[in-house]
Amino acid sequence: MSPAQWPPPEGVVQPIKGPQEIGGPKGVYRAFGETLRGLKTTFARIPEGTTTYQYPEEKVPVYPRFRGRHRLHRFEDTGLEKCVGCSLCAAACPADCIRVVAAENTPDNRVSAGERYAAVYEINLSRCIFCGYCEVACPFDAITMGHDYEMSDYDRADLIFTKEMLLAEPLERTPLRAEGE
Amino acid sequence: MPRPFHRDITFSIDGREVTAPENTILVDAAKYGDVEIPVFCYEPKLGQPVGACRMCLVEIEGIPKLQTACSTPVKDGMVVHTLTDRVKEAQNAVVEFLLINHPLDCPVCDKGGECPLQDISFGWGAGVSRFIEPKRHFEKPLSLSPLVAIDRERCILCYRCVRFSQEVAEDYQLVFEERGAHTYVSTFNGHPYVAPFSGNIIELCPVGALTSKPYRFRARPWDIEQAGSVCTLCPSQCNVSFTVRDDRVLRVLARDHKEVDDGWLCDKGRFAYQAIHADERITRPMIRDGGELREVSWDRALDEAAAALGRARGKVAAVVGGQTSNEEGHLLSHLVRDVLGSSDVESRVAGAPSAELRVALDHPDLQATVPDIEFAHAVLVIDAEPVDDMPIIDLRIRKGVRRNHVKLGVATSRPSSLDPNASAVARFAPGAGEAFLAALNAALGGGGVLSELAEAAGTTEQAVRDVAALFDATDLVILYGERLLSGPRADQTARALLNVAGKSFERGRDGAGLMEIPAGTNSRGLREVGCVSDRSPAEIAEAAAGGDLTALYLLHTDPLVDLAGEWEPALDRATTVIAHSMFLTPGIAEHATIVFPAESWAEREGTVTHPDGRLQRLRAGIGRPGDVRACWQTLAELSKRLGADISILTGSMATAQMAEHVPIYAGITHDELGGQGVRWQERDAASAYPGDVDFGPFGLEAPPVRPRPSGSELQFATFRSIWGGPEVAASPALQFLRSRPRVLLSPADAQRLELFDGLAATVAPDGREAVEATVHVRDAVPEGSAFLESDVAGVVGTAGIRKAEAAVVV
Repeated sequence: MSPAQWPPPEGVVQPIKGPQEIGGPKGVYRAFGETLRGLKTTFARIPEGTTTYQYPEEKVPVYPRFRGRHRLHRFEDTGLEKCVGCSLCAAACPADCIRVVAAENTPDNRVSAGERYAAVYEINLSRCIFCGYCEVACPFDAITMGHDYEMSDYDRADLIFTKEMLLAEPLERTPLRAEGE
Repeated sequence: MPRPFHRDITFSIDGREVTAPENTILVDAAKYGDVEIPVFCYEPKLGQPVGACRMCLVEIEGIPKLQTACSTPVKDGMVVHTLTDRVKEAQNAVVEFLLINHPLDCPVCDKGGECPLQDISFGWGAGVSRFIEPKRHFEKPLSLSPLVAIDRERCILCYRCVRFSQEVAEDYQLVFEERGAHTYVSTFNGHPYVAPFSGNIIELCPVGALTSKPYRFRARPWDIEQAGSVCTLCPSQCNVSFTVRDDRVLRVLARDHKEVDDGWLCDKGRFAYQAIHADERITRPMIRDGGELREVSWDRALDEAAAALGRARGKVAAVVGGQTSNEEGHLLSHLVRDVLGSSDVESRVAGAPSAELRVALDHPDLQATVPDIEFAHAVLVIDAEPVDDMPIIDLRIRKGVRRNHVKLGVATSRPSSLDPNASAVARFAPGAGEAFLAALNAALGGGGVLSELAEAAGTTEQAVRDVAALFDATDLVILYGERLLSGPRADQTARALLNVAGKSFERGRDGAGLMEIPAGTNSRGLREVGCVSDRSPAEIAEAAAGGDLTALYLLHTDPLVDLAGEWEPALDRATTVIAHSMFLTPGIAEHATIVFPAESWAEREGTVTHPDGRLQRLRAGIGRPGDVRACWQTLAELSKRLGADISILTGSMATAQMAEHVPIYAGITHDELGGQGVRWQERDAASAYPGDVDFGPFGLEAPPVRPRPSGSELQFATFRSIWGGPEVAASPALQFLRSRPRVLLSPADAQRLELFDGLAATVAPDGREAVEATVHVRDAVPEGSAFLESDVAGVVGTAGIRKAEAAVVV
């Protein structure tokens, strides 16, 4: 409707139906009926058993593509870090939460497979939005989004994960959902 | 050669009518029409194009084959296509071909993110390669020099670095070895590429084949910011861009300014940034307490300094170092002269000509500019070694000689690296600049007996005549070192120089003139803001040693290191020695009573003046570390505490204050200077320059006859190499180049004194402490002269040289 027709001419305005009258015998009947309908759903689930996870004793399983806390990887055969400190993850990061400072491998101190390695690799998880762009940007599959989602802490500074923390195996593995679950 | 003139022509590119100067190279002409033609090897700074990479192929109507746009000058009516299928196919093919042997290790390559090869592959490449065979391999990474790493696999053989070495720096060290796919860049004898300008090849390389070792893997292009400023390490005042990451300077790049540096940097400017973050830097004010310097608060240091200066009212002298900015110079001069009622604020290193002669020498009508060097008919260098004193001018002279057939004359006492390019070379005895100028004046018909004067100058008549022959040129630029006009006979020398200048070019003619190569970075600006006194630094030292001066203010200088003269007793005797310094150099560590931390050149705000009169703006690229405060702030605060009515809160207020008090700089603001600076001679305020000036010709006195040294004594002068100074000493990457005491001898003298190359010798200059130095025997050194590399430049006299008692030093 164009503004020229404002206020609208008589007969264009249709009054909408107001709320049903509250209270009275009709209301009591309706409330009781709705409660029974809800309880029907509840009781129908009893044969399925409980679905409550006893968290934290029992972890919620996640899907394989779940984007949890990042992990850095090593080559399984040589033990060298896959990350060469190229900073592409930092460039891709929309939250600007990754900081990489690279250094050069020397024959005595070979850390990664390439010429350079990440001397400092920090992810500020309190800033991370878990978008997974870093994983997409990485040319060496050195960083992946892991499955850990337990990252709460008492201090913001503790949420800056260093390279050693990201390389380490998580203490407790997050269970994966079974196929088709 | 006068500046080339081009008429504008119209040509068509991709259907657009574009107007561009005639004979512009097509790549540049296309930019007038907003058309980009990809290039790798083309770089106008390197001179003639070579057409090595074939990336710039375009279609020109009327020529059957595709043409390289980088080597085709544009002509009137030319019709060019850059978007046809033929061109696209060629571009795809060239990119594919260049990438055949390129390792594509972009994630580990330092160039990744700022790499023309990446950009062009992305923009003009096909995106796929059909090449599945193994790539060519080289050993990598290798060091081309301690400063440059080379990765030959990445090289696309564009020729830029080799052309730089062969045609710009003319050190002839880089060459291509082998042929075909096996070609690689190397130094011709496999030795490291060590040269004063070697760092430029890093910036020239369009791929990651040549990378900076100090910057290696420090940051990627998206981690960093560029901060433009001006390098204050030498009088060239090159425009630089600091690469900053996490508030640290990680790299220095050139910021192309045709009128100043032509886009090149010397290795000192490029790599000495490490000194900015050296651990040795002073970051808190210090006060000498019980014989030792202790860190104190700013308040305490300022209070003590103000109290000490207040006590010494009328007995204060200030010595100003070359790196001081105009604002700092002005504020110090205000503090010492107006507030403390003293008169000595001196920025020059030794005695200098009188104010009237200085006015004539600096007159805008006699002033040459940097581009004049390139387009003059002839250039004469007198008593300066550009590569040490003002390195970028060396490249400019070479460019003029090589490309514009400028005739070059070199008249120095020390052999110059420009000798091979010169059409006339004259060697005169150390310190005999006056006699040489008088001889030159005589050769030009100015009176005096040429043979006698040449004899007095320690040169030959023929050499003087050869140099005089350059004066046939219409546009002559004379570059003279500040040391020519220092010393006790500065006035006579200045008169001789003015006589010679009067015979060489018309006053006020564009493209000809004089230019000084000063000893300090901002010598010219400091002179113009009033950091000149009647007493030379040596006389100030004498006065302080005699007790006439009780407080010494050392602004960015350490007299023990930088200045000739007897400074040890002066610093000892003075009750108060206030110093602004970045480092605890010997004189400051030993004698300063109050030390204020100084900002580095990447942290400063202010202006400096180029020897040709261009005021340029210093901008802070990084924050000041620790407790460092701006120098102008400290000086203004001291003035205030001593009762002056001064209120300066920002760097631009300091500039405004300076501009208010210096008539020829009147009204200068940071905005006006912008990124390119402005020559004060071209501003309206230049009319404030003193009007009635005596340009001569003057009647010249006969120069004194110098006694011939006898026995093991040689004529002697010191020089400061490009690698001198505390900045180089504090830069780990430049340690291998750091200035060390070296004494240059001629083969005949070396043989006579039983010295040979590499041996340690004791050099005992007349009336000075003996120095141990390594002997360097050089054919080019004239017999009877010896030159000592030292931070104290400009010591001239005789010296005894003998074998040192100790063994060989390295």
